[in-house]
Amino acid sequence: MSLFSAMAVSASGMAAERTRAELLVENLANAETTRTPEGGPYRRKDAVFASQPMATSFASLFESHLQEGVAVQEISVDQRDPERRYLPGHPDAGADGYVAFPRINPAEDMVDLVSASRSFEANVAAISSVKDMIMRSIDLFK
Amino acid sequence: MLDGLSDTLERYMDLLSARQKLVSSNIANADTPGYRTQDIDFQSELRSALQGASPQPFEVAGLQVKNDGNNVSLDREARLLAENGMQFNLASNLLRSKIQKVKEAIQSGSGT
Repeated sequence: MSLFSAMAVSASGMAAERTRAELLVENLANAETTRTPEGGPYRRKDAVFASQPMATSFASLFESHLQEGVAVQEISVDQRDPERRYLPGHPDAGADGYVAFPRINPAEDMVDLVSASRSFEANVAAISSVKDMIMRSIDLFK
Repeated sequence: MLDGLSDTLERYMDLLSARQKLVSSNIANADTPGYRTQDIDFQSELRSALQGASPQPFEVAGLQVKNDGNNVSLDREARLLAENGMQFNLASNLLRSKIQKVKEAIQSGSGT
């Protein structure tokens, strides 16, 4: 029974939360973007998490039911209609004078960003606690 | 390894690390839709671990389920994380003092 795989689980959590934070920051940066390579305004992205069994070594395959890591399963793209604002002078305005803006609520993204950051910290705390336990075990030989 | 008590301590630490793994999993999956908190019944698992059985995790009941079907409570996991760490600390100190005694016996026998 190795404690090292517990660190792998926490590390997978950190990686997933980091991906989520990156997407949220991207959303905030592109809150007013009206042009994208795909055409049309920017669309809000979000990470969808799924738990997955972790096996770092052969021995832990037998214990994989004990622990589940996390991974970003897919990145969901907001398919809602863009927000339309009346700006006739805008270069991207349509014939009716409306411009399609991304449907992004900065407050919503900020709240999610704080949540991602807190979850990241929780994983860091778990790693440091497990690290302490490993160090204690090593100190038994001293 | 050394005597009956050391064996018990060893199992105890094994079980603590198994529980710490579950806590790590729960924390890592704090934002996973549909994930349910996993835990072991420490008291009864320790009793069966002394007979050589491996721990069986179960889904914890009575936790508040969020809109996405996830019921991980970070407060609960933080408490367990600290609790496990302290218990492991205690057990490792006990085991260390046992090992220390054996080492002392070996060294005083060498006649230096």
